[in-house]
This record gives sequence, C-alpha cells and structure tokens, in this order.
Amino acid sequence: MLSELNVSPAPHISGPMSTRSVMLDVVIGLSPTMAAAIIFFRVYAVILTAACVISAVLTEYACNLLLKKENPLESLGDFSAVVTGIILAFSIPPKLPVWAAVIGSVFAIAIGKMVFGGLGANIFNPAMAGRAFLMASFGVLMTTWTVPATIDSTMPQIKTTAVYSDIRTQATPLALSKEAVKKGEGAETVNKQMRALFFGNVGGCVGETSALALLIGGIYLLIRRTINIHIPLAVLLSAFVFALFAYIIEPQANINPAAHLLSGGLLIGAFFIATDPVTAPLSIKGMWIFGIGVGTITMLIRIVGEYPEGVMFSILLMNAVTPLIDRLCKLTPAGGKPNV
Amino acid sequence: MESAAVKGKKTFRGGTHPLEKKTLTSECAISAGPAIKQATILLSQHIGAVCEPLVKKADSVEAGQKIGDSDAFVSAPVHSPINGKVKEVSLQPHPVLGRCMGIVIEADAEKNVPKQLCSDKFDGNFDQTKYTSEQICDAVRQAGIVGMGGAGFPTRVKIEPNPRLPKETMIINGCECEPYITCDYRIMLEWTYQVLAGIKLARKACGVERVFVGIEDNKPKTIEAMRQAAHESKNSENIDVVEVKTKYPQGGERQLIESIIGKNVPTGGIPPMIGLVVLNVATCAAIAEAVVLGKPLTHRTVTVTGEAVCKPGNFYVPIGTHIGELIDFCGGVVEKSAKVVLGGPMMGLAIGDLSTPITKTTGAVTILTGKQIGKAKFERRQTACIRCGRCLQACPEHLNPTRIAHAVKYNKLDLAESYYINACTECGCCSYVCPANIELTGYIKTGKIYLARKQKKMPQ
Repeated sequence: MLSELNVSPAPHISGPMSTRSVMLDVVIGLSPTMAAAIIFFRVYAVILTAACVISAVLTEYACNLLLKKENPLESLGDFSAVVTGIILAFSIPPKLPVWAAVIGSVFAIAIGKMVFGGLGANIFNPAMAGRAFLMASFGVLMTTWTVPATIDSTMPQIKTTAVYSDIRTQATPLALSKEAVKKGEGAETVNKQMRALFFGNVGGCVGETSALALLIGGIYLLIRRTINIHIPLAVLLSAFVFALFAYIIEPQANINPAAHLLSGGLLIGAFFIATDPVTAPLSIKGMWIFGIGVGTITMLIRIVGEYPEGVMFSILLMNAVTPLIDRLCKLTPAGGKPNV
Repeated sequence: MESAAVKGKKTFRGGTHPLEKKTLTSECAISAGPAIKQATILLSQHIGAVCEPLVKKADSVEAGQKIGDSDAFVSAPVHSPINGKVKEVSLQPHPVLGRCMGIVIEADAEKNVPKQLCSDKFDGNFDQTKYTSEQICDAVRQAGIVGMGGAGFPTRVKIEPNPRLPKETMIINGCECEPYITCDYRIMLEWTYQVLAGIKLARKACGVERVFVGIEDNKPKTIEAMRQAAHESKNSENIDVVEVKTKYPQGGERQLIESIIGKNVPTGGIPPMIGLVVLNVATCAAIAEAVVLGKPLTHRTVTVTGEAVCKPGNFYVPIGTHIGELIDFCGGVVEKSAKVVLGGPMMGLAIGDLSTPITKTTGAVTILTGKQIGKAKFERRQTACIRCGRCLQACPEHLNPTRIAHAVKYNKLDLAESYYINACTECGCCSYVCPANIELTGYIKTGKIYLARKQKKMPQ
C-alpha cells in the first residue's frame, strides 16, 4: 500500500548526463592522445601525467580541507581535477622536471580554480592558468623540446628510470616557423613536415604533437555531445583564414595554413581547452565570438607576435572577456521582447 | 495560409528527447473507470474566476446537474458527475492551488451506473451547419468546457469570435509530447469521428476556415486514422493533419504554433494576437458531446501509468474521483514509497494527498517508483553550475535558465526579470538536460511567484 508520498518540483525525471559523465567523457576523449604521447615521449609522458593528475587531485582535497567543506571528498567525484591535471600535463614539454609540473598543477587547482570558489566559478581555465605560471617561472625549461622517441631511439623505455640529462632536443615546427617569419624565408622546411605533424612525429608538448589522436578524441566528444561543434569550428576556421591570408601574401615567410592547424596546441586547444564549459560563453553566438577570438589571437601571436605559440595566451585572454561576451549576447525570447 | 506549411516534418528550436515510455498504456483501450463512492468537485478547475457553489450541504444532486457557476466572463461552471447527496462544501486539496473550495458529493449507490461512452454517436456524415456560432458557444459555456490539455482556459472565451482579434487559423493539438501519457492518443484513435465533429463545430463557432491538426510522428496510427477520417467525412475541407517531429515540448501551445505556422506568439501574449486558436483533441471531443448531446463535462479520459502502478491503463473517469480511489482501481502500487504525479513526469505536479481529486485538466496520473525518483533527484549529485549552456540550447523559449535560476537563488528578482523570467513556460527541459542536476525549473517557478507577490498580483 502506498504509504510514503514523495513530492518535489517538476520535472520528475532527468537526462542521462551528469557533471561526472561530462568530465569522464573528456578523459576518454584524451586517451588516444595519451597513447600517442606514450609512443612519442615514452616514460616522460607517463610520469608527467601521473604527477599532474595526482597533485591536482591532492591539491583540491587539501583546499577542501582548508575551506572546511562538509565532505572534502565530494568535489573530487566530479573528476574535474583529473581533467585539469591531464590537460596541464599534455601542454608542457616532455623534459620538464616533475617538481615543476607539480608546482604548475598545484597552482592550477589552488589559484586557478579553488580561490574563485571551485568548479563552475573560475574565470580562467585552470590548466592554462597553471601553464602560464610555469611559463612565467621556468621560461627555459618550458621551451626545451625533446626529440620524439620515434626519432631518438636512446630515449628510455617505459619502466626504466628517466635520465633527464642526455636527451636530444630540437626546435619545434612552430619555432622554425617563427624563424621563417623573422628571416622572411625558410617556411618550406615546415611545410615538408606535414605527415610528421599529422601523426605527431615532431617535437612539442606531451599531448600536442599528434593531430590524429586529438582529432579522434575531438570527434568522440562531438559524437557524445559532450562538446558542441561551435567553439572548435570557430577556432579552427578563424585560425585557418588568418593563416591563409599570411600564406598568400608571403609564402616564403609563412608556413601553410594546414601546417598551422596541425602544429602546436591549436587542436588540443580547440577541442579540449577552449571548450571547457566553465570558462566559455553560454550562448551559441557567444561561443562563436569566443572561438573566433581564440583562433585570431593565436595566429596574431604566432605570425606577428614575439612568441612562436599563442594558444595558451589567446584562451586566457578570451576567458577574461567571457563575462562580457555573455552580457553582449543576451538572448531574445522566442516571442520577441515583451512590450511592457 | 501558404500550402508549404503542410509539407515536411515540422519542428521548433530547442527542446529535448526524454524517453517516451508510452507503450505501457498505448494499447490499452479507453475503459470505464471506478464506480466511485464519493466525488470532490473543485470550484476552480480553470483559469479565471472561481465558481460560487449553487448547492448546499444535504442537497440532492443528479448526474450532470450544474453545482457551481460564476458570472465572470472568464470562468466555467462545474457539474456533478454522479447522483447523490452533497456531503459538504469546504476547503479541499487542490493539485495546483494547494487548497480550494470544493463540493463533496456522496454517491447514491443504487442510482449510479457508469457513464456510457458516446463516440459511436458520431460518424463521417456529421453536419455542423445545423448549429449557429452562438448556439455552439452557449453550449460550450453551459457544459463548462475548459482546455483539457492542462492549462484549463475556458474554451468559450477562446472560440467566441472577437472583432478585435480576428482568428484566421485553428490548430488542434494532438501532440501529447509528455512521456508516459496516452489519453489523447487513445481519444484520437478510438473517438476519431467525435473529435472530428468537435473540430468542425469549433471551426464553425470561431468562423475560421483553415484547420491544422498537429500530431507527433511517433503516433503513425493516429495520423493515419485522423487523415482518413478527415478525407472521408463531409464538410471537412481544409482540415489538414500535420505530422510534427517527436520532441518535447512539441505539444506546448507556443511550440506547436512555431512548428506548424512558423511564427512565434509574442512574449507574454496569446495566440489570437497572431490570428490563431489552439484546442486540445480531448477538448474537441468534449465540444462535440456538449453541443450535439447536450452533455456537460463531467467525465474525462485519464491515463493511469508509471512503473509503480500494478495495472496501468486509460480510463474514462468521473471528474472529482479521488486519486487514491483511482490508484486502488488500478490494482494499487508495487511498493510503498512512490511519487504520484498529476500529469506527465516533465510538467506534472507531485501530490502529497491522495484525496486530491481529478480535475478537468488532469490528463494522467503517473506513478514513479522510489528507484526512479532516486535516480532523477539524488543519485546524480547536484554540483555547481558548470556553465555548459545546455539549458540555453534546450529552452524552447530561448531564455537563459541558468542565469534566471541563479538570480532567483540569490533573490535578485530584478535581474531575473531582465532575463525575461515571465516568458518561461515551465516545460522542464532545462532541469531535464542539466548535467549538474540543478532544479532550474523549480527556481524559476519560485521566482515567478515571488515576483507576482512583489507586484501584488498574488496574495502573500
């Protein structure tokens, strides 16, 4: 017999998605990139990712304890700290010492996220905030690029202890591209590397080199509707158009637009970082403005600016203006504004 | 109206796709409901003025007798569904208002027989030209017919010709987009000609030519039945059955208009402003019965459904039947803890008192199991808003539910108003899609009440 009536506001059923499922989907989407990172950077990829994830989770736990949260473990269940850790690890050079990666990770969670009020309240993407901190603090370490294991067979295998000293380094395609811009010639050397850029057989950050793996992950997220197409499309299109103009004007000095899309952090940025829901605008129109901003600023930095790479700065800059974009893109109700 | 409006699959922007679960009752033919011992007729079952009771304690009443009415233009009388004696006139539980004056009638066991269905009295030869517009409007008013899809707006007010707002097109709402519910589906399938007669009468009353019957494409059988009936019967030119995309809330009046006509009703406005009148299929069936047979609205089809009820089905029950009695009639519930929802799971109201009666607008009683409640409300822990924007994309009214809800949460009603809180139709899409499991619709409803109180439109 019915003896206990439950009441609550409608709706009484809910959709399949949860914050945890969204975050887990991002982790799954990043797994092809993890595999690629292990192929190209072997033990370094594993150590850095583990270090970043563990320190991110522990930092969030510590912050929760300091903030005297009722249940300090609760917020760890949404897996957002894990995502931050992985993305940070994927956007630092393989040769970065573990202690530096841990500092970056602690900064990302403590200053990038928790001081703002935790998940949902942070202005800047935590992983990018952490990376910016590392960039400002350890400039040389953050720009020393390892030759991938597929070229340098002396790189330690997984399970052997990492030796940080005798690793061969090389300039990244984007560093070469910057040189070409400055000299006004030599862009062909990068254009010839298209195949390597696509599969990831080049120097670069842990998780940024393999365009193929990132595309697989990005498509997975799109199919699962964890992200929608607007931001990645806006980022990639605007970057492509900008690069195309530069290429048409000065083909010797500028690498071709496809090479721009495949190199550096543009793909991971477009699919995994700029789409971070917390720091991106709410409306579709806003997402387009945000994405075009990210793509354009990235290309401005790469082609006109001093740094060879600009994805991190462009995302952080657009994160900063996201509240303004939201205000600008106020929705009109379906029936038009009420005349009162 | 341009003929292009009939072609292709029609839809609106926004919305979501909850599991339909209509197969629980979709094959259950409409059958007679319980022989009730007691009926509670609420004096406010519609939008507009509350009725004054016309009977007092210990009076004898007959089935179909008018027991409450009001002089106000926007109102509808109420009738007794059974023969019996007035037990009391007092405050009774009301699904929306909480408490409302109601007339409790004790049934006279000997004189009561279940009301017969009347769909066999209508066929394709029905001729509406015998009736004048005034006759139809009067009969509809006297029968106390209100919008039976849920809102309960007095139908007479809707269909009466109004020179200030001339109507051009009539839309018949047969979408039934809420999960679980199948009463309109069965009505269209079983009472096809009665519904059609009602459509013809309503069309005659309004003085419009063009009629679109919107049905979701998950009900191919009804689309076929209605099309065939409209094709075969007399005087049914310009009645077009339009297949609309299955999506929640396709059956929302404003969404159905957007789907079929391609225009939006102005925010805060009503369909006549753009020359439209929208009626539910159950309302049409009631119109036919009232005008042709002179019978008032005393019974309605109710779907009793949900995983927690033993014998789900579609029943023709007296208005005023207690929910508890109806649940017992359906074999009771499978477990002791459940949620009884009047309406579907997306917009329905969970009741806390089983003596709440069925009203003219109750299309379904959905009973959810404890497990389902837990899954929706507790298992997925509520987290902070991750600003993903899914609620914005699901909102069929193109609002910003998260901003409105958070403005209400922090008691910033002006801010909520600047995000057009009153344009919300409370369809529940935002709460349904929210990954953070925030009760967005709940906050918005609360905000609307606060706002109405602040503007003195509502008692404290």
